[in-house]
Order: sequence, then structure tokens, then C-alpha cells
Amino acid sequence: MLETLPQAVVTGVLLGGLYAVIGIGMSLIFGIMKLTNIAHGDIMILGTFLTMRIAQSLTGNPVIALLLTIVIMLVFAFAIQNFLINKVIAKGAEPALLVTFGLSIIISNALFLVFGANTRTIPSQLVTTNLIRTAHVSVSMMYAVNFIVAVAVIAVLSLVMNKTSLGRAIRAASSDTVMSELLGINTKHMYVYAMMLTVVTAAIAGMLVGMTFPFYPTTGTQYLIIAFGVVVIGGMGSLPGTLVGGIILGLAQLVGANFIGPTYQQLTGFLVLLVILAIRPQGLLSKAVRK
Amino acid sequence: MRAAFGKIKDNLKEGVRENSEHSLKRNVTLGKNAKFIWIAVMAVLLSVPAYAGDYVLNVMILMLFYMVLGQMWNLLGGYAGLVSLGQQSFIGIGGYALAIVSEKYGLPVLLAFAAAAGVSVLFALVISIPVFKMQGVYFTIGTWIVAECLALWFSTWAWAHYAQGYNITVTYRLSATHIYYVALAVGAGSLAVVYFILRSKLGLALMAMRDNASAAEVRGVEIYRTKLKCFLISACVTGIAGAAIYLQQAFIQPSNAFGISWTVSMVFIVVIGGLGTVEGPIIGAVIFVLIRQFLYNFPGFSMVILGVIAITIILLAPRGIMGLVQKWVSIDIFSVRRR
Amino acid sequence: MNNIIEVNGLSVLHGDLRALHDVSMNIESGKIVSIIGANGAGKSTLLNTIMGIHRPAGGTVRFEGGDITGWRTSKIASKGIAMTPEGSRVFADMSVMENLWMGAYLPDAKKARAAQLEKVYGMFPVLKEKSSQLASFLSGGQRQMLSIARAIMMNPKVIICDEISLGLAPVIIQDIYVKVRELNAAGITFLLVEQEIKRSLRHSDYSYVMVKGRIVMEGKSSELSHEAVSDAYFGINQFA
Repeated sequence: MLETLPQAVVTGVLLGGLYAVIGIGMSLIFGIMKLTNIAHGDIMILGTFLTMRIAQSLTGNPVIALLLTIVIMLVFAFAIQNFLINKVIAKGAEPALLVTFGLSIIISNALFLVFGANTRTIPSQLVTTNLIRTAHVSVSMMYAVNFIVAVAVIAVLSLVMNKTSLGRAIRAASSDTVMSELLGINTKHMYVYAMMLTVVTAAIAGMLVGMTFPFYPTTGTQYLIIAFGVVVIGGMGSLPGTLVGGIILGLAQLVGANFIGPTYQQLTGFLVLLVILAIRPQGLLSKAVRK
Repeated sequence: MRAAFGKIKDNLKEGVRENSEHSLKRNVTLGKNAKFIWIAVMAVLLSVPAYAGDYVLNVMILMLFYMVLGQMWNLLGGYAGLVSLGQQSFIGIGGYALAIVSEKYGLPVLLAFAAAAGVSVLFALVISIPVFKMQGVYFTIGTWIVAECLALWFSTWAWAHYAQGYNITVTYRLSATHIYYVALAVGAGSLAVVYFILRSKLGLALMAMRDNASAAEVRGVEIYRTKLKCFLISACVTGIAGAAIYLQQAFIQPSNAFGISWTVSMVFIVVIGGLGTVEGPIIGAVIFVLIRQFLYNFPGFSMVILGVIAITIILLAPRGIMGLVQKWVSIDIFSVRRR
Repeated sequence: MNNIIEVNGLSVLHGDLRALHDVSMNIESGKIVSIIGANGAGKSTLLNTIMGIHRPAGGTVRFEGGDITGWRTSKIASKGIAMTPEGSRVFADMSVMENLWMGAYLPDAKKARAAQLEKVYGMFPVLKEKSSQLASFLSGGQRQMLSIARAIMMNPKVIICDEISLGLAPVIIQDIYVKVRELNAAGITFLLVEQEIKRSLRHSDYSYVMVKGRIVMEGKSSELSHEAVSDAYFGINQFA
């Protein structure tokens, strides 16, 4: 057990990076419109399927396919935010939550109708290549790429939110809707932009997930819980916190599995999450509950 | 809280006045005839097996089961302000109680139902400790994670046959008629439970909480107790329904017993029928089952359609079909308001 | 007369409560107009309704002759009306400069951003000093200045100020009103809300007195006597 611990820690941290990219969009949406997007996991898996299909039939290369996927997803994000979520966002948390819940079911079942229930993968050589291989620890290229991309996505998103006019306007809209409107910022448009940023991260996460793990139309819900866990541990709405949240969750899973057994990997992750939720419902890293 | 009650009574009076002034509305009150109408409805439902074929019977069974699930989710989400995505925990527990008691130990089915109710309540009580610390959406997802944990645990649990689950062979000795009467009993029972809750002190506390959050806020402990009671009752009845459902299904596995799709149906049923009404889940369950039956060969398609309907209703008629109906006719079939 | 804002027969309901009764007022272009009234007289409701934050139950608001009743707030703002709401409402997690940039969010203002920033820093040197600090570290008076400066960044035709002097030291209030005069001289129309009669009359060209959601008195500020206003203001308020 102890001799396998270093491997568990390394894999846990790297997996945590992937979890962070999965969760970052959810964190963004929560931070900006106080909405828990139940459809987040399914939107990501929608991205995975799109990338897979485009790579299969058009480009052959998943990274180029990703670009096309992002274009489609941007249109989709515009539609769901503008025509659905924005219509109910002012009526309190519940209707918006239920709308995203409905969306989640629609997306996963539509994927099932189009692609069938089969388990799929996005083939990639990264999975079979090793970056490091020693007696105790080996690091697959895929996991390393996941982690690097995660850090890059979080860094870029933080830059966009903090250093660009659009990012500042989105932040303003989230911290004081009325004041932002008085400055000429259409806050509903900001929500649309935020959702568009979110689906870009979701599409990237979706491609990585599809290359790393097998997936099928209903996988989205699993990743929703992971995203939620990342966001809760990292503090709702905090972007750098998301990375820490992902790493903690990844470690909880792999270190737990290392000592109890690999079949308990997911269970230990969920239990750690439940304990954190019960003890510090506002998240481990958040300063205070923002109201 | 007493002040809040007073205010609500005033509101109710006002509501009544408003209704009588509203000439467009037709008042449909069952009044003194209520008892007879209920007896007639019950008589019709009891006699269904006498003239209906197995197909109709099975559809009725599904409607009854889903109505129960809807009622119990509605009790939490529509009345107690507890939006849960983890009610499948209790369906799974109920189903497994049946499988283990009747299949593994060969004990009577009635005992299995008692176990389903008992273990569900016990489990609800235990998990209420962590999940009641979570507010709003945290509760929503927290309850879901609990259910996912159960699914994972049961699939690694030797005592419960790992992920293979059980065939529930006692079902083979039962006809559709038997199961129909079980479903009818559970259905009528769940309605009675909701009806009596809403007319009881607990019901008044729920109304006060919903309509007047600030006044109810004063008594935090009371709110906690009120919500906990609803959570336990809902768990109990959902657990019993779980046992009944798996008595019909005859086969149980962790992945479907603890699957989120149970709660998906509950949410759709309540949202479509009308959140926070007793009639809503009945209407919702009928629509839900009919759509699923019509599109039986296209399971994904029916869920897409139900999702679209649910979202449309949230956007355009937040109070569901029942809310739309009440706009034109003021129906008071379940006079949960105390006169 | 050239009215930049015309309010006609405006009524607003807050739930069942009528917050504004048939309010009409004209704001002449290039002037400083003040609304005087006690707490709860409906001044903020009136401003918020002009800005589209509240929806009126009846009546119209016109800006430069065009009907803007019921428009989205951001659209009204983009036509050239800036408002500093009660309590400054600066973005606490942004720096002073970022707050000012937020004022220049709209495309036209953004083009003039650098020049406006210089102008604003010239008027409020303290903001230049603290330009890279978070707005949450500013004092109450400095926040109020930032709020006004942010409004100026919008390059508006009208600035509406809701109780800019609330809770500030007299020296600072004096200072702020001097800036208002300067800006007004440069062509910006002002609509000010005040609780204090004397200050209102002194710093404005025209005044309206509001009591319980109605306008009970109006006139040129130089012609309104302090006593008359105060009778309207207190008299009705105390004995009604």
C-alpha cells in the first residue's frame, strides 16, 4: 500500500487537474449568476460527442475538431442562456435550477437517440505514451496534458475575467446588477457571454475526458457531481480555488482507493465531498458565503 | 409563528372573497357530496381489474406508482422547500428491502414492506444529520451524492449480491391484479398521508414557512422539525413505493434502483402537473405515463419530449397544468384548507 | 424652453402601496434641478422609475423628446443619462481605475476613455493617487467621489444624483457641490435629490418638493423661500 502511495498521489493530482477543467465552467456560472447548472456535465459530454464525431468524419484530428465543436457550442450556449435561463433567472434559484435539470435530461437523451448507448472513446496516442516511467511512478502523457491544459485554461480564464473589458463587465454584472445597468451594461447579455465562456471550457474539458476515459450519453451526470465537488471544495465562484478543489477531489479518490481498494475510488471521493459539504457548506476555500 | 398563521387565515379569507368576486371562474367544490364522490371513484378504481385487460392494468399500476413518487417529491419540493435530487435512495432501499427479506431470507412480503418503510425512515434520519446542514442547492446535490454513494456501495456489497442484484421470485406467483391492488393501496395511502399532513398542524407550519419566510424564520428549531418530519414521511412512503415497484419489476440492480432517473420522473411529474398542489402529481403522473407508453419504443425520445414540456411549463406556466386549470375553474377537490 | 427630461403623470405601485401619485416634472437642459423631500417621500422611487429600474403603473418619461418609459435601464443609460444611486455602489473588488473604466463601458465613452480619465483625475486628484487601490479601501467621501467620477466617465448629458451628501462631512459636501457646478457649467444637466432644504435651494436652479409620493410645490430655487418649503416639507409630514 505504502509503496503504491506515490503513484496514487501523482495520479490523483494530475486527475485533479482534469477535474478542475470540468468544474471551472460550473464555478464561473455559479459565481456570476448564482445558478447551479445541472446541465453542466451533459453540456460537456455533448462537446465530447461533437468532437468525436467531427474528428471521425471530417478532420481526423480531435484538436481541430475541437475548434468546430466550440463554434457549435457557442451557438448552443447563446440559445439556452438567451431563450431559456435568462427568462427565469430573476424568479429565484428554483426555476432556473429546474430548467437546467430539464436541459440535462434533454441533452443526454438526445445524445442517446443520435449516438446510441454504446461506450465510445476519442482515440489518442497520448493515453499509451508515458512521460515518465520509473520503478515507483509512471506518468501517462495524457494525464500530464490534462493537467497542463487545466492550468492553462484556468490562467486564461482568470486573465479574461480580470484583465479584459468584457470580463470586468461580467464581474460587475454579477456583483451589482442595478449599478451595472446604470452604467449601460446589459446584464442579461453578460450572462450570455458568461455561458459562452463556460461552454468553451466545457468543450475543452469534454475533449480531454473523451481522450482519457470511455464515455456514453449518460456519463454527463457523473461529471456533474465531480464538477460540483470541485466547485464546492474550491469555493463557489473562485477560479484558482477550482484547481485546488480538483486536486483535493482527485487525491481523495486515488489515495482512498490506494488504501481501501480500487473499487472504492468514486465512493471515497463522494464521501469526502459529503463530509466537506456538511462541515463547511460554503466550501473549503471560500472566505465567506457571498450573498 | 402564531401571528403568521393568523395572517395566512386572513389571506385565505381574502382568497375566498376574491374567488367569489371573480365572475369568470366557475367554482367546483365537492362540498357535502365529497364523501360519495370519493367512494364512487374508489369503487371504480377497485373494479378496474374486473373488466380491464393486463395492458390497461399495467398502465394504471405505473400511473399509481408514479403518482406516489410525485406526491412525495412534491411534499418536499413543493411544500417544504427541500428540492431533493436524491429520492431514489429510498426507492433503492425499499426495493432492496423487498429483495433481501423475501428473496434472501424467504420471509413474507408484508414483512418486506415493513422493512422497506422502517429502513427508509432510519436511513433518512441518519443522513438528515449531514444533509440538513446543507442549504438550498447544496441540499439538492448533497442528497443526490448520498444516492450515488448508495449505488456504489450496493454494487460492492457482498451481502446484497454486488452489482448483479436479485431476481425477486415472489413476483412470479402474483398476477397483474394482485400488483394493481398493491399499487392502489400505496397510491390511496400516499394521498391520504398528504391530505392529512396538509390539514394538520404540520401543514399549517408548512404554509407559514412558504408564505411568510420572515415570520417563520423566528423559530429556526420549528422549521428544522417541520422539514425533518416531511423528509422522514416522504422517505417512508417512497421506500414503500420502492418495494411495491420492485415487486412488479421482479428484478433489482443497484444501478437502476438508485438511479437518478427515478427522481427525473418525479421532478417532471410535479413540474408538469403543478408544484405545490395535491392534484398536480396526479395529472403529471397520468401525462408522464401516457407519453412514455405512446413512445414506448423510443425511450430517449419520450424523455426529450417530457424535458421540453417541463421547460416550457417552467417558462410559461410556472404553476403547472393545475395552475392553468385553476385560472379558469377554481377546483377544490382536496379541501386541504381548514374551514 | 428646452426640456431634456419630461415626466408626465407618473404613478408607481410598490405591491399594493402607491409610491408615486401622478408625478409630473420637467428638467430643463443645462440646469441643476433638485427634488427635496423627507425619507420615504418617493424621491428615490421617482429616480429609479426614470431610469427604468421600477416599472410605472401609468404615465410617461421622455428623454430629449422621445418616449423611454419602460425601457431597459442599460438602454436608458446608453442614451446619455448617468445616475449615481444612493450609497455610491462602487465595485468593491475592483481598483479605483477599473471602477472608472466601468463608467466608460459603452463604445462612445470607451473611445474617449483616456481623455475623460485625465479630466476626472484633474477634478478628483485623490482618485488619481489611489487609482490602483481596491475601491473597498476608500473612505465614504472618496467612494462618493468615485461614484460621481464614474458617472462622468460615461460622458452623459444628464447626471442624476440620489443623496450624494448622505453621511458625508460638510467640507466634503461643499467640495462635491463645487464639482457639480463646474460640470454644469460645462453643459451637463443635473437632477439632484436632497433631504436638506437649504443646501438644495442654494445649489439648484429649480426645485420640486415631494411629500408622500406627490409633488406639492415647485418653483425657481431663488424664488422659493426656505420657510415655504419647510412648511410643505414638515407641515404635512408631521400632522398628516
